[in-house]
Amino acid sequence: MAPPRPPPARPVADQGVVTRALLGIVARGGREHALAEQICRACVAGLDVDGAALSLLTRSSARETLWATDPTAELLEDLQFTLNEGACMEAATTGAPVSVPDLAAGVEVRRWPVFAAALAEQAEVGALFALPLQWGAINLGVLDLYRRTAGGLAPEQWRDALGAVDVATLLLLSARTDPDDGYDGGLDPATSARAEVHQATGMVLAQLDISAVDALARLRAHAFVEQRLLIDVARDVVTRRLRFSDDMA
Amino acid sequence: MSPAGGDREHLVSSAFTRLADTLVDEYDVIDLLDRLVGYSVDLLAVEAAGIVLGDVRGTLRVVAASNDDAQLMELLQLQNDEGPCLECYRTATAVSVPDLAGVVDRWPRFTAAVDVQRVFRSVHALPLRLRQESIGALNLFNGLPGPLSEADLSLGQALADVATIGILQERAIRRGEVVTQQLQTALNNRVVIEQANGVLAERGTIAMDVAFDRLRRHARRTNQLLSRVARRIVERELDPDAVLET
Repeated sequence: MAPPRPPPARPVADQGVVTRALLGIVARGGREHALAEQICRACVAGLDVDGAALSLLTRSSARETLWATDPTAELLEDLQFTLNEGACMEAATTGAPVSVPDLAAGVEVRRWPVFAAALAEQAEVGALFALPLQWGAINLGVLDLYRRTAGGLAPEQWRDALGAVDVATLLLLSARTDPDDGYDGGLDPATSARAEVHQATGMVLAQLDISAVDALARLRAHAFVEQRLLIDVARDVVTRRLRFSDDMA
Repeated sequence: MSPAGGDREHLVSSAFTRLADTLVDEYDVIDLLDRLVGYSVDLLAVEAAGIVLGDVRGTLRVVAASNDDAQLMELLQLQNDEGPCLECYRTATAVSVPDLAGVVDRWPRFTAAVDVQRVFRSVHALPLRLRQESIGALNLFNGLPGPLSEADLSLGQALADVATIGILQERAIRRGEVVTQQLQTALNNRVVIEQANGVLAERGTIAMDVAFDRLRRHARRTNQLLSRVARRIVERELDPDAVLET
């Protein structure tokens, strides 16, 4: 007797249009600006927002806007960098998305008084959504979305934005840690979901006293040179068959 | 292994009292899920337990396992492609396999992997679901074939429900916050903890599960959230030696 057919699937993670669009992009080493452009454009095309910007703003390294779809989006980034406050700064620090459906509302003004005042003076922005690109402890950047009129994103759009940011994180991380400029292997989601990859990243970080992103880059470079899978290299590190030192490639 | 009679009743009530205590305060979701898989093994007639959550692509990812051994992890991860856990997640209903020998045709790759390991013979998957939405599954493994008792199944489902509540209520629900956001936070916290485990394992020349233990002990002793301590280690703001000395 054949097993009964399961009832229809009801996964939470129904993919939205923007998430699907980003899944079609292939990351290439050293092309972070081009990737940021594609990510921002897909968001503006698929979500109820007027503009998008993608910036790097880790606490330790330099701040840089990789792409902004229009002058207002660019101004948003500049203001936050200059004033050192705002939704995207908060998203980068906490690692959690920040949704500001009404920038004119009192609560938001109190949260970032200088930013809110400067923004009201210089641009027409009603709502702001900041989504961090997070890979474990590492913040790779923040995606800022804005709309001229106030109002929250519909739940399915917010979900799509969160999904898009998840894909964007992997794309940007791939580009930043690619062993070679022409390399098109990319970091695949299944591999990056493996515990050993993260454990090995932590171990290499400690072995070489470098950042987590650099540690992942070293692991990927080693896999590339040795023509092996990243997961196999990670497993060797975790089981202490492989140790990284400063003098090895 | 399942304890008998009054003992069990006492263990169950003390487990739920401790869980309720955790949920009223600020807590770390991975810490909570880790306790839940521990309780599953203590209270139910199973030898191993794991919790998987679906990410934004619908890929199942391991967030907690009762033991860190590679065999259990492999069986949990393998179910991205097929197996009782994936089916449980997709259908949001419990899937019980009292004898894996009987489902070779249905899940050939999963049963082959179980066969190679020669450790487990039966699997039970209980859904983590909120109303009609499925967010993941609690996977229970046993070395002997056979069904789980009704009592164990309902207690297991209660533990799975606590996991769901714990994940979705982890932070105060903000405006517009959706289930996906809570799931992503939980999954990302697991990544932070694995990264920190790696740092500690390397620095202390200790096994991953020992590293996790030290991390958890330090977080509890210093009254901080597990993921916050882990994050500071990976960002190289907190000296791993301070955690290892705990």
